[in-house]
Amino acid sequence: MSAEHDGLTVGEMLLKHGISRRGFIQYCTAVASAMALPPWMGPAMAEQLRASPRPSVIYLSFQECTGCLESLTRSFAPTIEDLIFNTISLDYNDTLMAAAGEAAESARTTAMMGSFGKYVLVVDGSIPTGAGGAYCAAGGRSAVETLREAAKGAAAIVCVGTCAAFGGIPFADPNPTSAWPVSAIVQDKPIINVSGCPPIPEVMTGTLLQFFGTGQVPDLDEHRRPKAFFGNTIHDRCYRRPFYDQGKFAKSFDDEGARNGWCLFELGCKGPTTYNACATVKWNGGVSFPIQSGHGCIGCSEPGFWDKGSFYSALSAPAWGKAGEVAPRQVLELVGGAAVVGAALGAASAGVSRVRQRQLEQHNDEKGG
Amino acid sequence: MSRLAQIPIRIEGTTAKPAGQAACGGLGGGVAALLAELASLLERLASTQLPAAIDLHSLPMSALDRAELERVLGEGEVRATIQAQGRSMVRETRISGVWWVEHRSARGELTAELLEVAQVPAILASAPDEIAAAAGALRDHLEAGARAPGEIDER
Amino acid sequence: MDLLAFARGPALEAALVIFCVGVAWRIAGFALLRLRRDLNKPRTPIGKWITGGLMTVGSRSWPHPEFIPRTGAGEALGYSYHIGLFIVVGLFGPHIAFLGSLFGISWPGLPSGLITVISVLTLTLFLAVLFRRLTHPVLRMLSNFDDYFSWFVTALVLVTGLAATAHIGAPYQTLLAVHILSVDLLLVWFPCGKLMHAFYLVPSRAINGAHLARKGAIS
Repeated sequence: MSAEHDGLTVGEMLLKHGISRRGFIQYCTAVASAMALPPWMGPAMAEQLRASPRPSVIYLSFQECTGCLESLTRSFAPTIEDLIFNTISLDYNDTLMAAAGEAAESARTTAMMGSFGKYVLVVDGSIPTGAGGAYCAAGGRSAVETLREAAKGAAAIVCVGTCAAFGGIPFADPNPTSAWPVSAIVQDKPIINVSGCPPIPEVMTGTLLQFFGTGQVPDLDEHRRPKAFFGNTIHDRCYRRPFYDQGKFAKSFDDEGARNGWCLFELGCKGPTTYNACATVKWNGGVSFPIQSGHGCIGCSEPGFWDKGSFYSALSAPAWGKAGEVAPRQVLELVGGAAVVGAALGAASAGVSRVRQRQLEQHNDEKGG
Repeated sequence: MSRLAQIPIRIEGTTAKPAGQAACGGLGGGVAALLAELASLLERLASTQLPAAIDLHSLPMSALDRAELERVLGEGEVRATIQAQGRSMVRETRISGVWWVEHRSARGELTAELLEVAQVPAILASAPDEIAAAAGALRDHLEAGARAPGEIDER
Repeated sequence: MDLLAFARGPALEAALVIFCVGVAWRIAGFALLRLRRDLNKPRTPIGKWITGGLMTVGSRSWPHPEFIPRTGAGEALGYSYHIGLFIVVGLFGPHIAFLGSLFGISWPGLPSGLITVISVLTLTLFLAVLFRRLTHPVLRMLSNFDDYFSWFVTALVLVTGLAATAHIGAPYQTLLAVHILSVDLLLVWFPCGKLMHAFYLVPSRAINGAHLARKGAIS
């Protein structure tokens, strides 16, 4: 993908593609603003990137649906084309690259050896370890092996999507392939989790650009997600918050409340417990996000979101049923059964009491009362 | 009933303000805070020549606050347009050293808006490395121009 | 399994089971006790016993006029925080969603801002009640672990609920999980102590009233 650009700095490469220094400053300033970074960082990132050789990026896809890559290629600003052709050197991506088979694999190993210790490894998809890793194998090697080998020379690993970050769908109960997130397989490299199912495109590209532009891992939360995008919950930034505060909830899809844009808490919105940038950055270049379109948040950037109960039962509702939602029938059985047991115990205690009472009466009679 | 006339009346958001009174925003004095920050950044620039910037995109401003800010900052003598990837507008305000910068994408959408406190915003100046490369290219052009006229190739 | 999933899942299920077993045990336990046979002739027909019992439930809901100066304040305080609790538990959106999803029904609620105000008022009354119990010499002498722990368990639910809606002190998941766990604790403690007055109150007054009516002591 980039043979003719070897040895050039990013700045020189940008000029070749007709992007001037000022154009790149415009672009980096926009990214910094979108990421709520301090304003001086935009031009600073631009300068740093322009002066450095193109960072090598190796993109490995494992047990995934390709949704994350699809999302990434829909990024509006910076667009993926900008990113690939102007900034990074995407040395391997089995979906986007033209080469295949041996040629592709040799491109990867060449890039890895050439930039050993300096390339960024972007991973999407979880890593299955069941059946000796046979559930995900390419080129005769399992995903586990490929990941471990690629991680050796990586400067950092960016796990794109909830599958790579936390295990995602494959990891959900009963996890038949024994899938694991990247952080469970690789422990000795800096990891940045950009979670979401899929993640917002601007979040993925912004994080990559920030990493290359500053050369440092950004501020991360306890799940290793960049705080710039995952620092607030959807609920904290939701435009329907006034309705939540007023207690105006939609009771069913397309009812009066739903049409008036009321809060979707009772329809299962997981906004209060989900950290992501959907409410501010939004999707499709800022067009909308699930809640704006009338469906509650499903919490897709959180670990284990598939196993946290029904998407349609409120956060305050009980969640011990198999599908997560507790049916009134289940409750009836539980309560009825417990009441029967309790009543039996009560009857037993009452029985004991009565026996004692009788004994006491007899004793008193004998004493002569 | 004469007491009614003694109740003070304050009109929000009009332009009529007595001279000397600090400008305040329509809905919360956000403009006053912004101006205070600009003042301290300008003082810093004056004494240390260190530039700074305030990102307007991250500040929630009502339409009234924005209009007030534009009124207070006003128009300076310089207006520059940068046509690079997108179209950017750099405008000096009435306050010397404060520049209003708008960046737009190739599609015309506003991607960033800043108040830069500097002698001149960095994006306007030409870079030293570009100047050196351009000098070399121009020299080559002059030497080659005697034989065959053409465009200066900077690459 | 994280704390919130545990609180809403196994913990809540176990707490509900313990609550049902305990409450059924205590109700059956007292309902099946022997009533001392009253060897007197009844002075009134059976219908009168029933109406007498029901009237007593009502008449004992407020002190007799001669006692009001001494006990009126305490009674008013008690009623106020009970009403506050019922409003907060029964008329707040997320609570309606919770109870409704258990029983398959729903009902309209109050604006959440109003509920917050009522919760704060109720909490203030709770603190006042504790203060009264600690400073009133007779009450202090009569109070035991049951009194204080029942107060604590209910106050904890109130405080954690306020913290959760205000989103202060910890990330929201943690606050919500702690609130639900405190409700689980309340459910587990409920059948063990004086909170059972919720179920005993009406039957106990009714039975006393029926006895009195049988004796002809109710006009």
